[in-house]
Amino acid sequence: MAGLELLSDQGYRLDGRKASELRKVQARMGVFGQADGSAYMEQGNTKALAVVYGPHEVRGSRSKSLHDRAVINCQYSMATFSTAERKRRPHGDRKSSEMSLHLKQTFEAAVLTQLYPRSQIDIYVKILQSDGGNYSACVNAATLALVDAGIPMRDYVCACTAGFAEGTALADLCHAEETGGGTALSLALLPRSQSIALVQMDARLHQDHLDTLMEAAMEACKGLSKVLDSVVRQHLQEVSVLSRD
Amino acid sequence: EMIKTEKVLHLKSSRGRKVRVVRELYLREQVACGSALCQAGCENDGKLLSGDVTHYVVPDAGVVRDFLEILEFRELCGIVFTQTACQAAQHARGRRHYNRLRGLLKDPRHDCVLFANEFQQYSYCPREKGETQEQWHTRCVYHAAVWYYNHLAGLTPVVMITEDQNTIKTCSSLNSGVYVISTNEYLESFWPDLQAARELYASIAQTLQERESEGVEKEYPEHLPADVLEAGIKSGRYIQGMLNVNKHRAQNEAFVRFEGSTNKNTELNSDVLISGMKHRNRAIQGDSVAVELLPRSEWKGRTTALAAGQGEERAGEDAQSQLMPTGRVVGILQRNWRDYVVTFPPREELQSQSRNSQKILVIPWDYRIPKIRISTQQAETLQDHRVIVRVDSWESTSLYPSGHSVRVLGKAGELETEIQTILLENSIHVAPFSEAQLREMSLNSKEHPWQVDPAEVSSRRDLRDTHLVFSIDPLGCEDVDDTLSIRTLPGGKHLELGVHIADVTHFVKEGSLTDLEARSRATTYYLADRRYDMLPAVLSADLCSLLRRVDRYAMSVLWELDAESLAVCNVWYGRTLIHSSYQLHYELAQSLLNGEGPEVPELAQLESSEQDRKLAELLHALETLTRVARHLRAQRDWGGALELEGVEVRAQLDKDKNIVALVPKEPLEVHETVAECMIYANHWVARKIQERFPHQALLRHHPPPKQEFFNQLIDSAKSRGFTIDTRSNKALADSLDQAMDPQDPLVNRLLRMMATQAMSNALYFSTGSCPEEEYYHYGLALDRYTHFTSPIRRYADIIVHRLLMAALQSEKEDCLHKTLASNKELEEMAQQINNKNRAAQHIQKQSIELFQYLYFRDKDPLTDERCVADAIIYTIRANGMLVFIPQYSLKGAVYLKNREGQVVSIEDEGRCTWQAGTLQRHPDRISTCTTAGTHIFHLFDHVTVRISVEPSRCHANSLSLELISNRPHAAARSESRPTGRGHSELVQEVVRREEASQQAVQEKKRPKLSREDREFRQSKKPNLYSLLQEISELALLDSSVCHVPSSEPQTCITSS
Repeated sequence: MAGLELLSDQGYRLDGRKASELRKVQARMGVFGQADGSAYMEQGNTKALAVVYGPHEVRGSRSKSLHDRAVINCQYSMATFSTAERKRRPHGDRKSSEMSLHLKQTFEAAVLTQLYPRSQIDIYVKILQSDGGNYSACVNAATLALVDAGIPMRDYVCACTAGFAEGTALADLCHAEETGGGTALSLALLPRSQSIALVQMDARLHQDHLDTLMEAAMEACKGLSKVLDSVVRQHLQEVSVLSRD
Repeated sequence: EMIKTEKVLHLKSSRGRKVRVVRELYLREQVACGSALCQAGCENDGKLLSGDVTHYVVPDAGVVRDFLEILEFRELCGIVFTQTACQAAQHARGRRHYNRLRGLLKDPRHDCVLFANEFQQYSYCPREKGETQEQWHTRCVYHAAVWYYNHLAGLTPVVMITEDQNTIKTCSSLNSGVYVISTNEYLESFWPDLQAARELYASIAQTLQERESEGVEKEYPEHLPADVLEAGIKSGRYIQGMLNVNKHRAQNEAFVRFEGSTNKNTELNSDVLISGMKHRNRAIQGDSVAVELLPRSEWKGRTTALAAGQGEERAGEDAQSQLMPTGRVVGILQRNWRDYVVTFPPREELQSQSRNSQKILVIPWDYRIPKIRISTQQAETLQDHRVIVRVDSWESTSLYPSGHSVRVLGKAGELETEIQTILLENSIHVAPFSEAQLREMSLNSKEHPWQVDPAEVSSRRDLRDTHLVFSIDPLGCEDVDDTLSIRTLPGGKHLELGVHIADVTHFVKEGSLTDLEARSRATTYYLADRRYDMLPAVLSADLCSLLRRVDRYAMSVLWELDAESLAVCNVWYGRTLIHSSYQLHYELAQSLLNGEGPEVPELAQLESSEQDRKLAELLHALETLTRVARHLRAQRDWGGALELEGVEVRAQLDKDKNIVALVPKEPLEVHETVAECMIYANHWVARKIQERFPHQALLRHHPPPKQEFFNQLIDSAKSRGFTIDTRSNKALADSLDQAMDPQDPLVNRLLRMMATQAMSNALYFSTGSCPEEEYYHYGLALDRYTHFTSPIRRYADIIVHRLLMAALQSEKEDCLHKTLASNKELEEMAQQINNKNRAAQHIQKQSIELFQYLYFRDKDPLTDERCVADAIIYTIRANGMLVFIPQYSLKGAVYLKNREGQVVSIEDEGRCTWQAGTLQRHPDRISTCTTAGTHIFHLFDHVTVRISVEPSRCHANSLSLELISNRPHAAARSESRPTGRGHSELVQEVVRREEASQQAVQEKKRPKLSREDREFRQSKKPNLYSLLQEISELALLDSSVCHVPSSEPQTCITSS
């Protein structure tokens, strides 16, 4: 795979986007009737499904419950058919527990948990097809599902990745760009207050470039928040039309 | 605005299984077309395809893959490369091919652009079911061509060239205005004058055709795949390094020096030996390879015997030195093929080969390159010609690499051909400057004299009336890039030393065509008889050159020095306007200093009183300058600066460019004075830019040498009873000064030569890519150094000038307003310049060797006096010794054993004959034992040798030396006895003594004393160099019977 040119001399990326362009985003809310909230999200070829239950009483041992706020329980999983090679993915492997933890941290920062003391909110996310930016697709899907469930939040949580190639920051990486070497930074942002819910970067990056990378990721998140907002508004419109009937 | 589609690819996974990968593809309506004719308002930035061509040409993927070389002809213009074709070519031919294509696209001198057809909504076509990849690519390219034609509203016809006959049949009549023809037809009908391109086409096509019908017998093991190699190198199983073939045993020995410090194998501190062609496994000189070590039982030693003649196998019986790590090549990480100059085999061999279709094994000029198989029908006609050949591939089934011919250079043996060969073999391209480049230049002609711009006058510091500026250069030098000034500041407490350098960056704007050309040349190339300028002559010899009595722009460094202690009080850098009063040459300046009262041409017109006043002024300046330079030199000497006399020789030519004599260069003190000022300027500029740009300044460092390289030097010196201390540069410099044989000054010179050889070269680097402790310049004993003083002939200086200006600018505005080259870019540039510098040194050396050969070619070695010379032994080998001939500055091998196994025996009067006998080698001597007796040759013995030429059909011609007497040459003996010590050592000694006594001796006495000293030693005692000069002049007299030699050398080999 060596020799993939992430950004051509003319400024095109592998899939024909320019450096700051996002992949095509499509989303639907309320895809399941039985859950309290649900959403389906496509970011390019990355497809995620999020389901929210709650707030409800704490299940299992009572000791987990908190007296002043709700517990958020996240579970992340990937479908066996989500990647190019079919692979059995047992629950609780290192990668998915890490991802679950990240999701939990992200939403604890965004959901107004103090409104529901001694209760629990469950968020289940599944990646149906993976093509880079799994974390951000999950966060975005879960945000929509939470909105669908009517759980109060501070703001939309929008997540996006950004990478770095040839001295330029690339927004919203696809799988080939993520694996093609270089750095990937995931950012979850509350766009209105511009506060960061979670930021994560695994690879090495020169300190001088960090600001540009963060900037690009923030811009991408803001772009996404507009899309999410329009999805929510459209959904509300549809629902209100239905309920009037 | 974008449309999303999907692209299905079938890739191989890491485990070798086939995997279906779905990738997104975003299409858009607006994709820049890159043509000047665009009517649709594309956002074209950067390179534009010119509008005034008769047609645009769109090459198919196959053409880009196989015939890229043809598209590289600059004459071909209006080329539209499609993204499809580029990617297909990258996929098929690899990164190197692709980078070449990218270079082509970036180069503003080539009229070609890239069109991202796969991202354009209307030119993209998805792959259809059952379509092969090639068909699909061709269809994509065709669609792109049609789109391009329509996009430009039919203003220009578009020609698609392809090798696929089906496409030509089906598509040629589909659209009017878009023509589909074959490459050959295209070249014939559109470029009938471009003979070279058509020949190249035929040559490549034939090679491609024959490759298809090849045998399957394996000659070499297959290379390992790239990921296995990478893993192996990481784990330490394989060693990565550059293959270096032993020139004298190209068939047998090659070495790999590993790169980087990744290797954990600490026992490997030497190179790895690759023995034999099988183990070398198709790697060619310069390739980056992965090597696996063989078990210890198979290790071998390197051969120490002098190779007698090329191609002679003498394995087995050779005395072998200690075992060294031996390995075999398992894979090639990066091919480093270049163009090779070759010669066809002689006719007899040709006939025996020709049964085998039209394939011919040609012999490269470079011994280290294996024979190359090419297909051609012109072998007969090109018998004695040199031809450029490119290597295409080396399959495991083939004993030799296969290639194709590119261009004919000319008849072998002719000066032009040989010079071109030398240039090409060092990958140096010096095409004449193009029209467009010359158009960028300002004019300076009789009708339109160039004038100083008033706006520049106000922005520069004007030194025209305040400073006495003069230059000292070799005689006849045209590109004066440095001038000096020195004056006492009002009050008399301070001196002001000024170094004024030609302001090249004022004329050469960054990114201009001239700049690009200069960057790719990196330096002016000096050959024995000519030079290839880095900048066009209008700049290098006129507008930038700091000639006398004209106003010129300069970049100056001005130091305010304390008049007593010469300590620096203040430094000023900046752009200035100067008016040089004198353009001196070294000999003139020196004789002025010596008080010999020579004529100064600048003063010839003046009245005598005026003349005296001006002369006194100039002399005072020169003397002060000498004093300052001595001080600076002494300062560096304390730090441990090395004086390493390299041997340079200059060919004196007469009017018809015949060589009259080979003259060693003569050093004078004023050389050192000028050099010292330049070193000082370089040092201070280096400090400035490094301070301001700690991560992206271009400096020059000289890494300390490895101790083991000094072993030969230490051993050689020991044989004469000297000890050389190599622990630091100071110790080395001191012990080299100590190692002085009063009987024979050449011993010291040779020891210094060996010391030079033990050291690595000084290199440019970017400060961001090197830890600060490695900035040190070992040879000059300075903590920071760069090149600032010769922007006319070195590109590094141009970069440094720009950096210095940016530093001054940013200081003024306190921000970095201009985007500078990043550390990575600068490091790449530094590497490029380093490579070019190395190549420039090689061509200089090789051209001198060529001229040495030409000098002796017409002389009969048996009768001509000049072919017999005094030589001094400096290295002992198993079957002979290496000698140095001071008269011609020539090094060569002398064999004590010939091919019949006879050895040299000494008879009466020291005459030598061949007799049966044996050789015995010791570290510091070699003895021959015959029936006539035993004779011993010691290191540093003087012997007499006869120089004769050894012509070579395919390779560089060489000289051969034959021992004719074990005594010093008679002519030399009579005069060499009273020889004093070398001049530069003398000067050094004087300076050092002076510095030491500085506190003790009173200020007044000192200059007087030193001048007496200098005069005394210079004029009364004959020194080595004047002696050599005399010898060569003796030689010169003979030939001057028929023609009066012009004593002016036509080249100047400048130092500093």
